[in-house]
Amino acid sequence: MHLKRQGGYNVPLAGRPASPTETLPEPDALFLPVESGRLTFTDPAVADGQTVRAGEVLARDPVHFDVPLLAPRGGTVRLDAVEGHVVLEDLAAPEEEQGEQGPPAPDPRQSLLDLGAWAFLEDAYTGAVPDPAAAPSAVIVSTVRLEPFGVRGEAMLREGLSAFSRGLERLQGLLEYQPIYLVMPDVDSPLADEVHERLRGHAFLQIVTIPLRYPMDDFALIARGLGLDPGGAPVWALRTEGVLAVDRALTASRPTLDVLATVGGPAARRPRHLRLPAGYPLQTIRSTDVVEDARLVLGGAMTGRMADDAVRGMPVGCPGLTALAPMRGRPLFGWIRPGGSRQSYSRTFLSRLRGAFPERMPTALRGERRACIACGLCEEVCPAGIMPHMVHKYLYQGLLDDAERLGVDLCVGCGLCAYVCPSKIDLRAQFLQAQQDLAEERREAAEAAAAAAAKADAQEGADA
Amino acid sequence: MKGLERLFARLRRPFERTPLRFFRPLFDAIEAFHLWPATEPDKPPWVRDPLDVKRYMSMVVIGLVPPLLVGLYLFGLRVLAVILVSYAVGGAIEVLFACVRREEINEGFLVTGLIFPLALPPGIPLWMVAVGVAAGVILGKELFGGTGRNLFNPALLGRCILTVGYPTAMGAWIEPKAAWPGRLLEYAVAPESYAGAADAAVDTAASAVDAVTMATPLVEGKAALEAPETFYEQAEPVANLVWGNVAGCIGETSAVAILLGAAFLLLVGVVPWRTVAGSLAGFLVLGAALHAAAPATFGPVGWHLFAGGFLFGTVYMATDPVSSPITKPAKMVYGLLIGVLVVLIRNLTGYVEGVTFAILLGNIAAPTLDEIVVRWRTRRLET
Repeated sequence: MHLKRQGGYNVPLAGRPASPTETLPEPDALFLPVESGRLTFTDPAVADGQTVRAGEVLARDPVHFDVPLLAPRGGTVRLDAVEGHVVLEDLAAPEEEQGEQGPPAPDPRQSLLDLGAWAFLEDAYTGAVPDPAAAPSAVIVSTVRLEPFGVRGEAMLREGLSAFSRGLERLQGLLEYQPIYLVMPDVDSPLADEVHERLRGHAFLQIVTIPLRYPMDDFALIARGLGLDPGGAPVWALRTEGVLAVDRALTASRPTLDVLATVGGPAARRPRHLRLPAGYPLQTIRSTDVVEDARLVLGGAMTGRMADDAVRGMPVGCPGLTALAPMRGRPLFGWIRPGGSRQSYSRTFLSRLRGAFPERMPTALRGERRACIACGLCEEVCPAGIMPHMVHKYLYQGLLDDAERLGVDLCVGCGLCAYVCPSKIDLRAQFLQAQQDLAEERREAAEAAAAAAAKADAQEGADA
Repeated sequence: MKGLERLFARLRRPFERTPLRFFRPLFDAIEAFHLWPATEPDKPPWVRDPLDVKRYMSMVVIGLVPPLLVGLYLFGLRVLAVILVSYAVGGAIEVLFACVRREEINEGFLVTGLIFPLALPPGIPLWMVAVGVAAGVILGKELFGGTGRNLFNPALLGRCILTVGYPTAMGAWIEPKAAWPGRLLEYAVAPESYAGAADAAVDTAASAVDAVTMATPLVEGKAALEAPETFYEQAEPVANLVWGNVAGCIGETSAVAILLGAAFLLLVGVVPWRTVAGSLAGFLVLGAALHAAAPATFGPVGWHLFAGGFLFGTVYMATDPVSSPITKPAKMVYGLLIGVLVVLIRNLTGYVEGVTFAILLGNIAAPTLDEIVVRWRTRRLET
């Protein structure tokens, strides 16, 4: 099956990492951020000064089904050494991998949770950690990651195609009859052929191809394209690294301790794939891999989080670092230069005649904030099919309900509208805020309704 | 550019501390005009497209260059004086409002300040240019809250006010001169210009040449309709309309120049093709049908297409992103409406030209058209 969709755009950012994967020297200490994107490990499971072995639970996230934070290496725990981090010192050397097969796990979902593989799963529509107890309606496995510069599934597939295919089988073992959709790029490559060849026999798999255009790999877009009900049972979604983690957990009963991450972007000295333990000191990466005064983004340039000085180590589940340089010097009459070296989504730059090329984009607004001029570029680029300029107009006037009517909930937060906006309006942030406000409103309404119903019930009981 | 950066950094201080800070928006605008801002985004995406409003607006200005050059060639140096007054007065008002509001100066006036004079007759008294641009910018834009929030195209509103207020002066046409070097070296004035003292002084200083006034093709065309069978013998030949060698507003006479500008604007995607296509379709289809039905009332549509300001209005005025609808289907309908209205006003009312009124009426309809499209879309989303 092929999923087609309007909109989308590949931001021509320079600094795409080249294979193969490299390993960094073992660090002296690991700094595991308590706040790691969608997980917050607030429940410590160890005491300060305690010595732990690799794979032991350091802390848990009480909000998200007690997902554990595992120690990537053996060492001594320091809980209060650095604000907001669990620090591991006196690290032991990483253990040698043994290929032996462990006993089959009696409760596979519990093993996934305990061995750190569950954190790789997300709900396709909400992005939240799915409830391990609930059965999904479908599973989406994606080998594509289009945001510059997350690790490409490709790089990982090359490392372990047999582990990947075994992982898919393990995953299927968790399900009853639900389908697994395997998302592949719609390009011909030897690797794609090999994957097709190997997975041909799996009847439970349905291969779905998507165009290699950001953000067509978004799970919500894929789920919508497949016609999966957003209101029904959850749709599990995971990427290549998730399948590999599932395989490790259920085949060898091993936790996933090292992850594949990228250091890419225009300010990366040598963009590359790296095999790292979570908590790897960012300072080390800063000194070896990126140019001076670079801005380090946790994740991709479109949706990632800016790493300020408070973040000391690689967060759990972070797919990579994007290094961006600030603007050096301010060009004279920059706005009216023909623009042969700058690329724009619009057709107003001379570079249009050249075709796409990797550009060393600075992290800058490249213009000044203005009121919306209704140019319509955001609507053109939006993959969710909403009209960002109209939604913005309503939200600007405080008309949340009208924004809801226009489908602000369909926004997947890819950030392309804010990227192309000539008025430099932060549309993405505004829409995500509106989604939160709407969710809050709905929650309150539901609570009020529940309270009213309970009151009515009590009244009825009293009457009887 | 380090030197310039340092210079601006040094000059910035008084505009932040001393009473000069009233003029801070002006300083910021001048700085941003010279040096591209290096502001970093505080929210993702951390990289942004290099297109900004300045560039967007300057595309329109570039698109206006061909009709401007033709107007300059045909009508002489007075065109420059008209543009200068428009930019000076319009710019001063924009700067004043920005300073009082403590908001940034908007680039929109670069376009308004140029479109407005191009839509005026070349012989118009200069004080009237000032009145028109002031009225248009204040009533049409600033009172609504500035660029992006206005209902009407400010240039058109200014022109409308002049048309209604000074109908005779708005007929101060100048005879075009096509033979090389045109009027490029002349400062021509219309003999019955209702010039005030200021104009007289300028005219003397520029050693003005009296030019013959003449009726515009649309006036002649309406007269020619009395004998429809000999229309083409009496009316202006289409070739003249296409090349622009006729009396009319500064920028509107040459269809070739306008189409050149339109091609550029469509190519860079600054002008929505839907509006242009809708307007042309409405104009051509209704015009052809009515001409076939009642040739004594409605002139031939192929002639009307190139006469007057229809093409200029369609390409440069109707497509103003702020005062036209935002949704795509509404753009089409809006264009259609304008084309239809131009045909009706030109042929059925006492006016010979109806582009200004047609587009202003279209501006009024724009929000409603958008709302209809939004309702229709949401109903589709719900089902």
